Amino acid sequence: MTKLKQTKQTFLQDLLDFQGSLNGKSQFLDEVRLKAADEVRNTPFPHRKDEDWRFISLRDLYSDNYQLADGMEVSLPDISEHYLPESEGARMVFVNGSFSEKHSSTEALPEEVEIGNLADFASEDHPLVKEHLGKYGNFEGDVFSSFNAAFLSDGVFIHVPEGLKVDTPVHLLFVQTDAEVNYFATSRSLVLADANSEITIVEDYIGLGNNKYFNLPVFEVNLEEKAFVKHTKIQRESKEAIHVARTGAFVAKHANYESYTITLGAKLSRNEPRISQRDEEVEFTVDGLVLIDGDQVSDTHSVMDHRFSHAESHQLHKCVINGKAHSVFNGKIFVRKDAQKIDSFQENRNLLLSRKGLVNTKPQLEIFADDVVCTHGATVGQLEEDEVFYLKSRGLNDQQARELLIYAFALETIENIAVDSVQKLLVDEVHKYTERQLDSQLTT
Amino acid sequence: MLEIKDLHVCVAEDPSEKILKGVNLTIGKGEIHAIMGPNGSGKSTLSKVVAGHEAYEVTQGDILFEGESILELDPDERAHKGIFLAFQYPVEVPGVTNKNLLRQALNTIAKEQGREELDPLEFEDYAHEKLQLVDMKPEFLERSVNAGFSGGEKKRNEIFQMAVLNPKLSFLDETDSGLDIDALKIVANGINQIADEEKSVVMVTHYQRILDYVQPDFVHVMIDGKIAKSGEKDLALKLEEQGYDWLHEEVAVSVNGEQN
Repeated sequence: MTKLKQTKQTFLQDLLDFQGSLNGKSQFLDEVRLKAADEVRNTPFPHRKDEDWRFISLRDLYSDNYQLADGMEVSLPDISEHYLPESEGARMVFVNGSFSEKHSSTEALPEEVEIGNLADFASEDHPLVKEHLGKYGNFEGDVFSSFNAAFLSDGVFIHVPEGLKVDTPVHLLFVQTDAEVNYFATSRSLVLADANSEITIVEDYIGLGNNKYFNLPVFEVNLEEKAFVKHTKIQRESKEAIHVARTGAFVAKHANYESYTITLGAKLSRNEPRISQRDEEVEFTVDGLVLIDGDQVSDTHSVMDHRFSHAESHQLHKCVINGKAHSVFNGKIFVRKDAQKIDSFQENRNLLLSRKGLVNTKPQLEIFADDVVCTHGATVGQLEEDEVFYLKSRGLNDQQARELLIYAFALETIENIAVDSVQKLLVDEVHKYTERQLDSQLTT
Repeated sequence: MLEIKDLHVCVAEDPSEKILKGVNLTIGKGEIHAIMGPNGSGKSTLSKVVAGHEAYEVTQGDILFEGESILELDPDERAHKGIFLAFQYPVEVPGVTNKNLLRQALNTIAKEQGREELDPLEFEDYAHEKLQLVDMKPEFLERSVNAGFSGGEKKRNEIFQMAVLNPKLSFLDETDSGLDIDALKIVANGINQIADEEKSVVMVTHYQRILDYVQPDFVHVMIDGKIAKSGEKDLALKLEEQGYDWLHEEVAVSVNGEQN
């Protein structure tokens, strides 16, 4: 038996067999699930020898057993402290991947917005679900998006009809509970923004305990002509969790997709945002901020796919690394043949606070058109002691000084986030992060 | 106010690199001093060591501030006691406004000194008053600390910070360098308005130029890690005319004299 085959004989395989015996909530979903299960069976699990996975180890994922969270007994504390005040009446809550009607409320949103549990829309054979599901977030040959599809059930469905501008930001809160057993959760989100519509979405993953679990969400966004979607993702999973996520966005003519991905939690996280142009003259932003310490690993593999002329794209990815944490960035920029007049900006900046931290960064440009401007850069630096001294000489103590400098470093990636309370939350996270940094200095 | 006694300093990471080799200097309350000297003589190091920069290690001697040794104190603790350093190369902190930094700094110092902290509105009024000393507009408070500032603006910002934090003792490390004559006058005017009989100012400078606008009570010349000569204002004029070479010779003679 080859190593790869052995790998497939892990809990993931067991899980798959387990789910194969289940009925989905709709015939449509059943078909999706069965097809995906087949894909999983025919797709090798990634391994360090694969170019796209060579910087990180998935050993923890393959060796530990995780049971399906569905049907697991859940003890859920009060989670209202995690609600965003701006999103009162515009909130969907998922507990370990399952939709929680009790905690959700969407009454503040205009009636024309279709929003609710994806499984319900699917069971009613909603034509838009059938038309769009899996089109943007099922990456070809990617076992994890297939895996997510093989377990497809609860999730988010949002459809903003033509011309509607939704002012209230929608908070999608995915809560993972503390539990004795290691569990596995998936969720699928499908956001459809019709022509001339506008919506702001906060996709928020929170681990309530320090337990082990595996979360595998897939997020799909489709923007029709002149649609504007502002999408912020916050990942603050448990420090023992594994978070593997896929985000796929398709952008039509004159549409604008603006995304900010904030990585704070999980022992191992892997983000794969892929933005594809569907027509000429689009704009998109794929900014990210990573704040990690201890033995955390954060890996971002992004794709900005310029398929047509006249696109403006922006990617500023900033990482702060302390302790033995490890940050990976692989930013692919594709410019297809005949996709002229592309203006693409990419920069990965890393602030390394410790000697044992590790950074791998790899911009990857594949350009087949000749009239394009693509700037890219990657830097790794540390806090300048002169900067710390400057602030201390003004009376700030060591923590205040370092916090201010880390905040200043991070600010650029969070200052454009449209929801004030999210910005405030991130300022608090920077504070907690620096506090931990100082504590670890005192103990080592 | 400040007494520097037989101060020997080396680079912390390379003890063989000795920079200060026995500096003696006393700064009285309300006095203005100028420390001049050629490049590499140790004047900037002296300012940083007084402020507590950790890149330098004191191997011998002491620094007393108001009668107590400050060698064991961190830079922030020295700031709390009322010591201020205007940087030769002020650091840019994009994303942090002047207002936020200074209010945090002022309130931290106030708290340490047992004084009342200022709320944002009180601080704004207080800061606006100080802005006038360096001829700066209120918008200046909202800008990120030194980010994208011209050289002159950075230096003015240092003097503005000094005015806001109201220290007892200020070291101004080449605050005059890189300034055109108008900016120099503004900076000098600011220093003159801040300095009073309670506060002491030490100007570290290459050039005599700023001393036309800020009158020092004492002028010292540093050469090779020591104060080679001290005098009054006319010493600065002599340096301007004759350079430092004659002092090198004088030091050499006195070194030889010691050996004999």
